[in-house]
Amino acid sequence: MSGMKTLSYRAALREALIEELERDPRVFVMGQDAGPFGGVFGVTKGLTEMFGADRVFDTPISEALIVGGGVGAALAGARPVVELQYADFALIAMDEIVNKAAKWRYMHGGGQSVPLVIRAPEGVVGGLGPEHSQSLAQYFWSSFGLKVAMPATPADAKGMLKSAIRDDDPVLFLENKSLYNRRGPVPEGEHLVPLGVASTWRRGGDVTVVAWSRMATVAAQAAETLAGAGIECEIIDPRGISPFDLDTILESVDRTGRLAVVHEGPVTGGLAGELIAQVVERRFAALKAAPVRIAGADTYVPQNQDLEGLLTPDIEAVSAAITALAQAGR
Amino acid sequence: MPPMTDEQLLHVYRIMERAILLEQAVLRLIEDGSARLLLHSGRGQEAIGTGVCAALRDDDMLFYSHRGLTQLLAKGMAPGPLLGDFLGRTSGATRGLGAGIVHAVDHSLGLMGSSGTLGGGFVLSAGAALGARRLGDDRVSVHIFGEGSANRGTFHEAANAAALWKLPMVWLCENNGLSVSVAHRDATSIEDVADRAGAYGMPSRIVDGQDVEAVYDAVAEAVARARAGDGPTLIEAKTLRFRGHYEGDPQTYRSKEDIAAAQQRDPVRIVAEKLAARGIAGDRLGAIRNEEAAAMEAAITQALAAPKPGPERIHEGLLAPRETAA
Repeated sequence: MSGMKTLSYRAALREALIEELERDPRVFVMGQDAGPFGGVFGVTKGLTEMFGADRVFDTPISEALIVGGGVGAALAGARPVVELQYADFALIAMDEIVNKAAKWRYMHGGGQSVPLVIRAPEGVVGGLGPEHSQSLAQYFWSSFGLKVAMPATPADAKGMLKSAIRDDDPVLFLENKSLYNRRGPVPEGEHLVPLGVASTWRRGGDVTVVAWSRMATVAAQAAETLAGAGIECEIIDPRGISPFDLDTILESVDRTGRLAVVHEGPVTGGLAGELIAQVVERRFAALKAAPVRIAGADTYVPQNQDLEGLLTPDIEAVSAAITALAQAGR
Repeated sequence: MPPMTDEQLLHVYRIMERAILLEQAVLRLIEDGSARLLLHSGRGQEAIGTGVCAALRDDDMLFYSHRGLTQLLAKGMAPGPLLGDFLGRTSGATRGLGAGIVHAVDHSLGLMGSSGTLGGGFVLSAGAALGARRLGDDRVSVHIFGEGSANRGTFHEAANAAALWKLPMVWLCENNGLSVSVAHRDATSIEDVADRAGAYGMPSRIVDGQDVEAVYDAVAEAVARARAGDGPTLIEAKTLRFRGHYEGDPQTYRSKEDIAAAQQRDPVRIVAEKLAARGIAGDRLGAIRNEEAAAMEAAITQALAAPKPGPERIHEGLLAPRETAA
């Protein structure tokens, strides 16, 4: 067992890119300002210098070309890692993501791989407004040929990005902007985290709390407070939405009978609704109370950062909702 | 570029006959109820797929258009898997998913697939050229598309990047003057799509799309440029659509005279005349036609005997098989 080191989420992602660029000559990185500038969030800093401008380079402001070009390069046998400057820009490239990356294998019979990674920074933070701050994983749960990864820790950021680059299917890799500076332990040496395997952050028998990305960190903090009040939460980070590790959640609900689901994106049409439906269909009898959605407000993200802070649940809101759930029901 | 050899021209004639026979077979199968699909006929545009593919190597990558039977056959695909697709049988290239618009892939033939959304292929073909460059090989990426799709933003995004990066790419615009029902002049601000290449610093050429030698010559030149690292080319082939956008299209937007006039410039007859002018006897062409007709009948019988997929087929192939992942 090798040791651990401490890295920021940003540095962990960068290390994953470096290791995979070194390991596999088919890998290349492109995106707006992803070249010598190093990306607006600094994830690709120094990589053009290290690997040359034919491996890590800038693109025009052309999202359809960035994603569709990545699909084409993957079809030709390369392993592209493309960067959308903000996850919101995925909406500009929806045909390329949903109709091409996700469907190409299926509609051509099943034998054609599209080994593409689309890195996209998401999250309600920084005063960037309604078109640069969304958490929009919810748009992709029915894009069945597309994997969607959402790492919450530096170790997962590194291990999941490496797995995504080695995966034969397209992966939408949603990095949370508010986590880039977050530091945490990352295993030394080769570190791979499989896609689609949930991570149980904390064991507890009273309430199952499923939370993604930044909200997993918020839920974990709430759980510490709640433990003092005698409520033991089981915190599960699904690490993404496709593939989805429903079994880990069902096994937990079997024990707790109570389910809260926490995410940044809007509550309506959100991840929580779909997950709760899947659990209720299978575990209605085990539930002691109605499952709870703790999610983003049904509105758009203002640039005013005081207002922006009201969009997503904070520790207090999460704690209050879980407390009510723990006391509810039969 | 050197002119096409007699052998090349005879092969073109064979592929054209094969494409026509295949299309007739599909129409027959629709008529008798064996096949349920919206065929997008390529009748009238056979010189393009054959001319393009005559200038390509097997490993050159082709993103073909929705009007694509000649293109697929010219790149080397057998009629059998295509018939399997039209009939929705497991012997099809998609193992039973069916086809009105063909979505077949065969890497050994450089057949890369087709975008269902019109204009989806521009960015893919540019990306494939980028991928070939990354892998250090000298494959050229080719995309055939209709003039109507050149009004998509993807055309412009990909044209800019391909020219900027000097990608090994050739675009062939099949300008048949009609975007489904809308005339070119009613949908596009300029007469020649080729004019747009200049805006991106990309060379272009306009050719007679009914003349396979003209298409071949332009593509061969463009492929040589691309392979030499000198970047992409846009070729516009002025062509004619003999039938509706899809089978059953009432074509209310088009006069009978217009259709009849188009059919005067049949690319198959033009090739036959070229061969005759080279002293190749008509009975040789007749023999090719008979061989192809017999082979097509055998392929149809075989395709009709193939099983239909079971209901499990709708869920297969969404993701890579687990053992090949990672």
